[in-house]
This record gives sequence, structure tokens and C-alpha cells, in this order.
Amino acid sequence: MPRLLASLALAAALGLTALPAAAADKLSVALDWFVNPDHAPLVVARDRGFFAKAGLDVDLIAPADPAAPPRLVAAGQADIAISYQPSLHMAVAENLPLVRFGTLVETPLNTVIVLADGPVKTLKDLKGRKVGYSVSGFEDAELGAMLESVGLSLKDVELINVNFALTAALSAGQVDAVVSGYRNFELTELDLAGKKGRAFFPEEAGVPPYDELIYIARRDRAADPKLGRFVEAVEAATLWLTNNPDEAWAVFRKADPKLDDELNRRAFFDTLARFAKRPAALDATRYTRFAAFLKAKKLIDTIPPLDSYAVVPKLPN
Amino acid sequence: MAVFIAERPPAAAGTTTEPARPAAVPPLASASPAAPSPAAATRVVAQRVATPAQPAASRTPPASSRRRASGRRFVLDLALVMVALVAIWWSVVLVLAPEPFLLPGPDRVVLALIRRWGDLWPNALVTLTEILFGLVTGILAGVATALFMGYVPAASRVVTPFVVVLQSMPVFAIAPVLVLWFGFGLASKIVMATVIIFFPVASAFHDGIERTDPGLLDLARLYGAGRARTLALIQVPAALPALVTGLRMAAAVAPIGAIVGEWVGASSGLGLIMMHANARMQTDVMFAALALVVAMAVVLRLAADLLADRLLPWLDETDR
Repeated sequence: MPRLLASLALAAALGLTALPAAAADKLSVALDWFVNPDHAPLVVARDRGFFAKAGLDVDLIAPADPAAPPRLVAAGQADIAISYQPSLHMAVAENLPLVRFGTLVETPLNTVIVLADGPVKTLKDLKGRKVGYSVSGFEDAELGAMLESVGLSLKDVELINVNFALTAALSAGQVDAVVSGYRNFELTELDLAGKKGRAFFPEEAGVPPYDELIYIARRDRAADPKLGRFVEAVEAATLWLTNNPDEAWAVFRKADPKLDDELNRRAFFDTLARFAKRPAALDATRYTRFAAFLKAKKLIDTIPPLDSYAVVPKLPN
Repeated sequence: MAVFIAERPPAAAGTTTEPARPAAVPPLASASPAAPSPAAATRVVAQRVATPAQPAASRTPPASSRRRASGRRFVLDLALVMVALVAIWWSVVLVLAPEPFLLPGPDRVVLALIRRWGDLWPNALVTLTEILFGLVTGILAGVATALFMGYVPAASRVVTPFVVVLQSMPVFAIAPVLVLWFGFGLASKIVMATVIIFFPVASAFHDGIERTDPGLLDLARLYGAGRARTLALIQVPAALPALVTGLRMAAAVAPIGAIVGEWVGASSGLGLIMMHANARMQTDVMFAALALVVAMAVVLRLAADLLADRLLPWLDETDR
């Protein structure tokens, strides 16, 4: 009798798993942060049917900790993660089996933000001041390089972890500058709070340009054709939202009622120029140049061969 | 009168092996039962509470030395448990061979501890400072609140809900606001630790005060002792064992307050080190910092035991 039950259960389980296999392939994507305009291509690809057309059923998961997604993917808990290029280099240095297979946002978004009417007019004025940041593991090196470009060093400032309360800490006067604010988000957030912000861009101050947001997967899945189909769908969605920004905003705001506000509306249009129009393309020179920068800053010990951590996905045909 | 007291074992010494005997209360004999002064009465009772009946013979070692022995046993037990935990941890790592970013082995953690010591140690000192300040303010606030509630029982009806509300608030949720109010320096961490430490101390001590033996309270009333005297000479001594329980709990949870504070905003401390290690995928460094936090909690707990031993030498523990 127990054997009969067991075989019945097995048959049921097989039957159940056989059904969705005929439908779209499931892919889970661990986002770097809660859903925000940086994820517009993903949301549009999901809600406008680009993923469905590629035979994919994509689930977007927002974590509480931006440092978690790379490990979730490395541990096999998610198929794809949105991460940062600097984080990828450091994760690979810690032997996490990860590869980049696509780009979401192809310029840095990070900035050093100060209040426009405050005492800091140039980077040089940061000397002796408090700088807030949210820990992503890279801010100190980035700020260090920016300070060196004006003859200062990290020793000239006090770095304070403000754990994502960037705008609040800056507005409340607890810090004089913040280094993890995004040009497309925190600047607008400040503006809406009635304060004018001033931004210093790392790529204009000694930091080699890098991709702010990238798609990563486990190394042993780098050749999975599903990843290629995923990137192709994202590419189509990106081009569509570039061509039809207002329609795209209408799709995006409907995805979650929390997204439908002035901050997200402005951030959405500010981010359009930042999305990678060729998400599959890999700029080898740029990656090795950035790895060399991280090594010079002692964030990584060695520069591994590029193809061990960054690949171009296999596109279907 | 004397018989009435004698037949009641002192509340605070509930675990003494011998029942109290009239001979152990000499002052009562000298005080005239016809005209008892309240001062004499409270003194008597206070002595009864604070110095319970002496054991008749020396076959039982004094409570303090037995406690010291049990303290040594606790240290030994703790060491054994630690060794066992590390052994289990290591064997799990050896057998299952998880990737180091998921679970580093003890060897890797020790190496990280050595490699990063120059960075870990100054930050550990910062965290320790926050914990110690938090302990001082948290314990003072807790003791003061419990005393106030004991002195003005009517007020406790108002204060108790406040204390409970404060305790039920998740510190993680209010921490970001506390940091904005008190800044990113030491103050916000101390406030956070104080909030966490306050509750076990206040509630344990207050419970102890509330649970004073009614017989002793009757006696104090009979001798005309005022509320302040009753509280100071009877209720507080009777509640000291409960306070010790509260202090032990406070010592164990104190690091949580400081770490939570560092997590939401700091420029130094083990909490910040852990965040950095987390962001840079250095699980071994994170475990090394965690090991230091655990070590601090253990040392604080031992210090609380030692302090209890010094302050309440008569307080006995049931032999295991």
C-alpha cells in the first residue's frame, strides 16, 4: 500500500513538472535593490511581453541587501543577479564563481553629492569634511581616487556609513557630502525635498568609467542559451523604451503603485540615456582597465583573465 | 512576635538549606516588643533578608565559595561547548566542503582574524566602548525605573505599558531615526544599547520588588516602616537576585544594541567591519568580527557573574 501511494505521488509529481516545461522557461532575477527606474528595461520586458516572446517567464526579486544577489546566484538560489561592475571584480577576487553576461546601465551612476548652497563648491573643499556613504565595498576607493585628482587623500575626510539614508543625512546636516548617491535618483530626491544638490562625477575625476549595473550568472551556466534569450529580450525592451519613452513610463508606473510618483517619473526619464543599448556587448579594454584600477587601489590582488569573469552570451542564431 | 518572624524563611534566601532560627536575629531580643521602634524593626528585617540564617555546622561551604566554584564550572562548561561547536563546524566544512563564501572553516576565520587584526582590534575597542557606556546608562535607567515603580505603585500602571512598548519596538526599525537624531557618533550607539539593556534590567528588578515575601511586608507595616524604608531595606534586598538575572540578560544582549547602531550609521566599529566584509564578499572576515562580538558577550556575561558574586556573596545557587 505505501508503495502504491509512493508511486502515485511520483506520477503526480512528474505530471506536474511536465506541464510547465511545455510552457515558458522560468528565470529568477535577483535585483540589486527594490524596483526602481534603473530596472525599467526588465519591467518593460516583463510587462510588455518581450520575455514571453523569448519563451521566458521571468521573476524579479528585490532583496533587502544589495550585497546579497551575487551570493544568491553563486549559491544557486537565483539564476541571474543585477550587480555592479566593481562588485563583480571584488566577488571574483573572493573566488565567487560568477560571470558578467550583459549590461543594464553602461555608465557610472554613482556621484559625490553636496548641497549647492553649502560650503563645498569644488572637490578640494571636501578637506576636513564628513562624507556619508552606503557600503557597497567600493566607495572608499572611488572617493579616494576622486580626492587624489585634486591633491587630497581619504585621510583628509571622515567617511561615515549612513546606510542608504543618504538624502536624509545630507539634508539633516549630519554629513557634508554623500558618495553613494545616484545622479538619476538622489539628486532629484534632494530637489523634491526643496534642496538643490551639486554632483561631482567620478568618471570626470580620476575614476575610469565602468558599468554601474550588469547581469551576472554562475560561471558554469555562462553558456546557457536561456541567458542569451534573456539578453535579447532586454535589448528589444531597451530599444522600445528608448523609442517610446512616454508609453514605456505608462507601462512602468503600472507595475507597482509605489512607482507612480514624481521622483520615479523624473528618474525614469533621466535614466533613459544610461541604459545599455547593446546589453550583450562586452568592452574588454574597459574591463581590464577597471580591473587594473582596482588592483592599484588594493581592492583586488590579481587581475584574472577576462574570459573567466565576463562573457558575451550565446544569442539564439 | 519573634516566633512569627522565625517561622518564615527569608524571601531572598529561598534556597538556603536551613530554616531560619530565632537565634540568628539577636537584635530582636534586645528590642522591647512592647515599644518597637520602626527603625529597629526595619534594621532587623533588613538583616534577616541580607544575612540569612547561618548554616549550623561548617559541613556546607559558604554560599560565596560555592558560587565561585559554580562560576568556574560555568567557564569550563562554556569552553567545552565552544570546543564542541568549533569541532562540529569544522567537520561540517570538511565533510560537506561548502564554498568558502557560504561557510568558511574555522581555520580561514582564524587566519582572517590574524591577517586583519590591525583593523579589527581598534574597531572592536570602539564597539566595546559603546557597549560599556550603554550598559552603564541602560542599567542606571532600568534600576531607576524599577525603583520608581516600586516606590509609587500607582505610577507603575502608567510606566509599565511604556516599558513594554519600548521593548516591543524592533530596534532595527527605529535605529535609522535614532541615528538622525543623535548623530553618527558614539551617542546614537549608546542610546541604542541603552534601549536594549533597559528592559531586562527594569522588568526583572521590578518583578523582584513586586514579589517580596508578603510576610516581610506585613512585618514592616506592623513596625510602622514608611514606604521608602520598606523599599530600601526590605524590597530592594529581596529583589537583588532578580536584578542579577536582569543584569546577566543585559550583558548578553548589550552588543546587539551597539552593532545595530553601527549597522545603520557609523565610521568605525565591528558592525561597520561586518558590513564592509559583507559587501566585499569576505565571509571569513565577517565571521572573524562576529567571533570578537561573541567573545565580548561572553566576557561581559562572566563579568556580570563575578559582580553578582561580589555584591551578593550570600546568594546561593542550587547545586547541579
